[in-house]
Amino acid sequence: MSILAQCGYGRGDKIEKGLNDGVIHGVIMSPRDERKDRLEQTIQDWGGSHPTALVMFDPQFYAASLDNPHDGHLSEFAYYHNNSNLGRTHFSGTRIQGYVRECLDYQHETFGSNVAYLISPTILFDAFRDSWSQISLNMAVESADYHSSLNSPQPLLISLIISETAFQTIDAVEEFLDALTEIDAQGFYIIIRRNSLSLQNAMEGTPFGRFMYFCHVLTTINEYDVIVGYSDWYSFLLEAAGVTHTATGWYQNLRQFSLARFQASSGGRRPLKRYSSAPLLSCPLINPELQDIHLANLLPRVLSGSYHDAILQNGPAAGEPNWTDEISCLAHWNSLNALFQRLSALPTQSARIQEAEQLMRNALTLYAQLGSRNVSFDPRTGPDHIREWQGSLREFRALAGL
Amino acid sequence: MTIEQVQTVIPSAADIQEVGRGGQKIVFSGIIDGRKYALKFMAPNPSEVAGQNSEFLDDVTSRARREVETMQECSTPHLVGMGPIGLNTTYIAGDPIIYFSEEFVEGKNLGSYLQSNGVLSFPELVRLAFDMSEAIKAIWQFSKIHRDIKPGNIMRRRDNGDFVLLDMGLVFDLQDESLSVFPVGTFLYFSPEQMEFNNRRMTMNFRSDLFSLGIVMYEMATGKHPFIEGAKTTWDALGNIANLTPRSPKELRPELSGKLSDIIMRLLAKRPALRYRSIELFQRALSKVEPEGGVQ
Repeated sequence: MSILAQCGYGRGDKIEKGLNDGVIHGVIMSPRDERKDRLEQTIQDWGGSHPTALVMFDPQFYAASLDNPHDGHLSEFAYYHNNSNLGRTHFSGTRIQGYVRECLDYQHETFGSNVAYLISPTILFDAFRDSWSQISLNMAVESADYHSSLNSPQPLLISLIISETAFQTIDAVEEFLDALTEIDAQGFYIIIRRNSLSLQNAMEGTPFGRFMYFCHVLTTINEYDVIVGYSDWYSFLLEAAGVTHTATGWYQNLRQFSLARFQASSGGRRPLKRYSSAPLLSCPLINPELQDIHLANLLPRVLSGSYHDAILQNGPAAGEPNWTDEISCLAHWNSLNALFQRLSALPTQSARIQEAEQLMRNALTLYAQLGSRNVSFDPRTGPDHIREWQGSLREFRALAGL
Repeated sequence: MTIEQVQTVIPSAADIQEVGRGGQKIVFSGIIDGRKYALKFMAPNPSEVAGQNSEFLDDVTSRARREVETMQECSTPHLVGMGPIGLNTTYIAGDPIIYFSEEFVEGKNLGSYLQSNGVLSFPELVRLAFDMSEAIKAIWQFSKIHRDIKPGNIMRRRDNGDFVLLDMGLVFDLQDESLSVFPVGTFLYFSPEQMEFNNRRMTMNFRSDLFSLGIVMYEMATGKHPFIEGAKTTWDALGNIANLTPRSPKELRPELSGKLSDIIMRLLAKRPALRYRSIELFQRALSKVEPEGGVQ
C-alpha cells in the first residue's frame, strides 16, 4: 500500500518532488483543475519520466449532477456534460451507456498505458437504498460490461462517491456490498463526501468503522483493488482494513472531499502553518504549538523524520518563514507514508490492526505527556479525533470478526 | 407406469429397469445403442394442464424444459449429460407424459455414501469442492443457478471417482422473466437469500449455490448438518440458516485442515459478499489447501 497525490489547483513541482523523494507512489489527476492540453501532456510526460508511478485520471463526471457546479476546466472534456445539472431522468439505460462509453473511450484513447487504470464515471449518492445509489450501481455495471468489450490493457476501477451519512445503516451497507461484489472489475476508487470538515478528516466513530468494514470486504475478502481518495490522516486505519492505496493533496479541500470543492471559493485568509506529526497523528500549529513542544524539550518526540524537519529543529518559530506550502505538503506526505510503511511491513492483518491501535495509544500518551509539560493544543489539533478513531476500530473489528 | 409402457414409448431401448420414483417423476434405465441411459418420465399436473393439452404448460413441464436446456448448454463431466432422446411428450392410457433421457451415472449419491461409508477423506473433500465448483461455473456461464445442491443430488462416479451434480429441474434463469420466483428447492439446503421470497432476482446468483455447497461440504466433512442442531422443525432450521453461525468443521473434526475448514465456513457466510465473488477465487483458495500434519 502507498500514498498517492490527490491533485487539485496549484500542482507546481510537488508531484515530481514527492515521487523523487519516494513519499508518494502515484497521482490522481483532476480535470477540474488543469487545462485539458496541459493535463494530457503531463500524463504523457510522466509515462516517460516516472514509468513506475501509479497515475490515475479521476473523470469527476459526478460534478455534472450537482447544482451549478464550479467545475473549472471540466467543460473542456467532451465526456463531461457541463451545464447539464443531470437529474434522475437523465440516467436511462441508453443515456448511461452513452456516458460510460464517452468517459472510458476518452481515457482509453488518450492515455493508453500511461495510466494504471481506467476509471468509470459515477454520481454522488447519500444513502445506499436511494435511487441515486441504484443509478450509481447501474453505471458501474455498464462500465464493467463496456470495459470488457474495449480490450483495454488498463484494468477498470469502478468509482463511487458516497456521503458519509450512508454508513449510518449497516444493513444497507451489506446489501450494497452484495450488489457491488457481483461486478467484474479490478477494483474501486472510492471517495467519501464529508458533511463537516475537520483537520484530521475524522468521521464519526461508528460510520467510519463501517466504512473500514466496507473496504475490508472489498479488498481482503473479495480481492479487489481499493483506492480511497481524499483520505488523509485516517489512511493508516484504512491500511489496517486492507485498502490498496489512499490519496491526499496539499489543500484541505484535497485532503477531504466536500461539495465545497465544486462551489465558488468564498476566499478567506491563508491558514496558519502546521506541521504533520506522525507520532501525534495530527498537524499541530508550528507557532505556538510546535514551538511550545520545543520549549518543553520534547520536539524530537513529535517529529516525523523527514529531512525537512531540519528547518524546524532549532526552533519552530524561527523556522516558520521557511516552512513553505510545498515543504509542508512534502512533509505531510512523508508523515503519512511513514505510518503506511510501518503498517504494511507487518505480515498479517491482525498485526496491522494491533499496530494501528498501538499508534493511537502512543499518540494519546504523547498528548498527555505534552499536557503535563503545559503544552496546550487547539481542540482542532487533537486529541479527540483519536478517541473517535479508536471507536471506529472497535466497530470495524466487531463487524469483521477480527 | 410400467416397463412395457416405456418399451412402447421408446422402442430403441433395451434392458429397461425401474431405478426410482418420487413425486410426479419415474426414472428407468435402458440401453440405447449399446450405452446405458436414465429415462425420465414425468406426469404434468392435471389441474394445471386442463384445457391446454397441446402445451402442458405446467410447472413439471417447465422444470423438465429447464433441465434439458441446461444439460444441452453445459458441457462438463461434473454435470449430468443429455442422452439421445430430447424432451418429448406422449399419452399413456390417455394421460399426458413428458420424457427425455440423460446420462446414467453409475455410483452412489452422497447421502447414501455418508450413511454407508461415513465422512469423506481430506482429498475427497477437496475433489468434491473442485468438481462442484466446475458444475456451478458451467451453469452460471449461462446466468443460471442450480438452487437444489444437496447430497442426494450429487453422485460419485463408480469408475473414476468424479463427483457429478444431478437434477437441473430447478435451475433458475436470472434472465428469464417468465419463471416463477416462488422459492423452490430443498429447505435444509437453502441459502439465506433463497429464503427472501421477495426480490430474489436482485440478490441471488451463483453465490447462493456456493452456500448450499457449503452445507454439503460441512456434512461430508463432519457427518453433521450445520444448521439442524437444536432445530425441532424445518422453520427452526431455516432460522438457523439465516442467523446461526455453526461451529467450524475443525472443531468437530480436529484433524481436518484448518484452511479447508475456513473455506467451508466462508461458503456458509450469511451475506453473499462474504463468500467468493467468483468461482476462480474459490478454486484458487482450494488449490492452496493442504492436509494438516499429513492427516488425510
